[in-house]
Amino acid sequence: MGNEAIGRGLVEAGVQVMTAYPGTPSSEILPAVVRFGREVDPPPYCEWSVNEKVAVEVALSAAYTGKRTACAMKQVGLNVALDPVMSAAYIGVVGGFIIVSADDPGPHSSQTEQDSRLLAHFAKLPVFDPDSPAHARDLVAEAFRLSERFATPVILRPSLRVCHARQNLRLRKPRVLERPARFVRDPFRWAAIPKMRLALHQALNRRLEAIARHLGRSKRLNLWHAPLPPRGKARLGILASGIAAALARDVLAELGLPVEGGRIPFLQVAVPYPLPQGPVEELLAGCQRILVLEETEPVLELLAPERHKLWGRLSGHVPSAGELTPERLAAVLERALGEARLKVPRPRAKPISVPDQAPLRRPNLCPGCAHRMVFYALRRLFPDGIYPSDIGCYTLGLNQGAVDTCHDMGAAVNFAAALSRAYQMDGVERPVVATIGDSTFYHSGTTGLINAVYNGARFVLVILDNETTSMTGMQPTPESGLTADGHPGRAVDLMALIRGCGVEQVEEVDPYDLAGLFKALRRARRYAAKPEGSVAVVVARHACVAQRPREAIPRPVRVEVCGYAPATAPRFDPRAHACADCGRCVEICPAEALRRVRKGRIRVDATACTGCRLCVEVCPTGTLVLEPAGACVDCGLCRSWFNCPALVSSPEGGVAVDQKWCAGCGLCVEICLHGAIREAGQEVRA
Amino acid sequence: MRRLTWQAVVAGVGGQGVLFVTRVLAGAAARTSGRVLVSEVHGMAQRGGAVVSHLKAGPFAAPLVSPGRAECVLALEPGEAVRNLAFLAPGAALVVDAPGPEFLSPRARRVLARRGVRTLFHDATTLAREAGAPRGANLALVAAAAREGMLPFSPAELWRAVEAVTPPARLEANRRLWQAALA
Repeated sequence: MGNEAIGRGLVEAGVQVMTAYPGTPSSEILPAVVRFGREVDPPPYCEWSVNEKVAVEVALSAAYTGKRTACAMKQVGLNVALDPVMSAAYIGVVGGFIIVSADDPGPHSSQTEQDSRLLAHFAKLPVFDPDSPAHARDLVAEAFRLSERFATPVILRPSLRVCHARQNLRLRKPRVLERPARFVRDPFRWAAIPKMRLALHQALNRRLEAIARHLGRSKRLNLWHAPLPPRGKARLGILASGIAAALARDVLAELGLPVEGGRIPFLQVAVPYPLPQGPVEELLAGCQRILVLEETEPVLELLAPERHKLWGRLSGHVPSAGELTPERLAAVLERALGEARLKVPRPRAKPISVPDQAPLRRPNLCPGCAHRMVFYALRRLFPDGIYPSDIGCYTLGLNQGAVDTCHDMGAAVNFAAALSRAYQMDGVERPVVATIGDSTFYHSGTTGLINAVYNGARFVLVILDNETTSMTGMQPTPESGLTADGHPGRAVDLMALIRGCGVEQVEEVDPYDLAGLFKALRRARRYAAKPEGSVAVVVARHACVAQRPREAIPRPVRVEVCGYAPATAPRFDPRAHACADCGRCVEICPAEALRRVRKGRIRVDATACTGCRLCVEVCPTGTLVLEPAGACVDCGLCRSWFNCPALVSSPEGGVAVDQKWCAGCGLCVEICLHGAIREAGQEVRA
Repeated sequence: MRRLTWQAVVAGVGGQGVLFVTRVLAGAAARTSGRVLVSEVHGMAQRGGAVVSHLKAGPFAAPLVSPGRAECVLALEPGEAVRNLAFLAPGAALVVDAPGPEFLSPRARRVLARRGVRTLFHDATTLAREAGAPRGANLALVAAAAREGMLPFSPAELWRAVEAVTPPARLEANRRLWQAALA
């Protein structure tokens, strides 16, 4: 796998300190360094850092002592780390230092499609762009050499199709570097004040020019897959880097123009910034037009001279968003070849096209996931709530209508503070209930929480604590005390941390205990709604069902739907019990079937009503009456508010339990207000 | 070593074992071709979303398969077969975990026949459940595909690849399932 190849390359090059924060598509790099590092004595020091800024600062400053160091993250993680990265270009390093920033064109699992090569340019750091796992492994060694030769941090930018590609590699022997820590005190460099930074900037610019000249001379880093014609000019040449270069070679072969045939000059640069001037100018001089292929932003295209000769994103020849898939790349190449009046020997055949539609599949929380219960509870207790959320598995609370925002790591806390205040400024107490995962809370939640407490914000924060970083593959969190490579760690006490941020109302609850969860959330809301209140935190703690299924569900139960019945609407009966005119029933009705016609009078629209019984449950006076049917009435409540993948459509027109998916958590039994879902009697597994 | 050139697409939903099947095929291809590139999907898609992986054996530079170029599409679920039909090359093999072709519209079946696509619809889910290994449908489908000559590998070559990627604790169970599925 590409990430393992990068880890292998780091170990083979003698990396001594490795840090990372997990994030798709980068998460497997650090575990690979841990695994391969066992071949070396002593093995490299490895850590899962709490966030990317920490990861960069730890690895960067370790390189000040002469050791070879690296850190890995996904591309949006580089945004978090940008502050130390920017300064690092000016100050430089002693030992080699590589920042691996994995890009996600598509995007497949990210908020943005950003191109780390642009940030490298912005930060004035050389950036390597590998085209395959093997290339990535080799470029790690090149990157360390360049880093040490020019005393500069370097960025390695693999994109998703490199990170998640698999390829066989012949392993090389890891290098063991004799590099005892040697920090040479030099405050004029390591603690440079702004006045000195001007000179450092001037030196940095000279260094980049020297690097560009040096790179221009390299045969390994500037690959001519097809040379320039011996005389005259080629009608079309290709300038490419990274995965786009590899795809273009395959697609050209499919179009009947294999690069080995040499018809179209093809230059692949391994380091797009600083641009290797010599080879690029040579290509430009030998071709009438140049098609620039790169993922995701126009970096080569902006850096190359003679832009009027270039076809790429700026000229509209390459789509300016979305991944360059083989299909899209073939269209780009066919157009460019056509405009250059070159024949396509084997144009694409039309692929199979059928009217059949593939099912729409949305990712969903795992069956048995405790987060699902929390989101259900939020819908139940705070029907008019606003639910800021954050980045992790629990973003999938979207499916339950209990996630309103998802922005960047830690934003939930600050968004909740601002959204609640915006209403409070107008004298309105609207419930704002934020959700954030434990790993995300350690990453960037604590600063927001301190800020919110300090500035008198009032809202409810639910920390979804499954004691792991699930979405990216179960990396340990500070709370677990487990470290990446098994060096002694110390567990951080989450409750103490929250109290330490100044929070007074905090309690821990297991979401599998629905009554306890309801009580804790109600107490939290009461506290936050008081003018003299503050932030109330609920820690919803339960083991991750994907990581530790036996701990999450110690006694799985077999659940079934016990029958089907037609839905009926509740009766509004103020003669038996007077209506308190509280409005809760109107507020909670998912079908908007209830209307307050005048004080103490509710009209039930039986045609709109789904018969879910929510209004009956929340009615404090018993004025709304509907007995549980003891059978599924197809109200849809479990599907929309609970949304478990094991609850599927039944041929009888309600829900059925798909035993293939069911984890046996039994939570759906508690949320069905008709008692239609019940335990089948005996336990499946002791 | 045969100079095998082969492109395949493996599709399913999260949790069905798409990655396991891909690793088996990649292992078999590596032994017969030497050069294999595989593209996997990780992250959010693994939570119940559509999972697809591409495999290219031979002199290729990039791991993604172009539409119309796959010699085999192996789907662990009918819906995912439909999603990936466009990858099929003329005369390619379509292998689906399904009791029959009924999940395809008559029109789709005609299109496949016109393109010379060889099809294998095999209820591997039921077979695996009856063999006492409900999570082994993926392996059972590979065995059936090998038996029917839908893959460029012999059952023995594939079993060696299965052995190489199966955790030791599951090896015996996989061996029993493999033999049941081949029979």
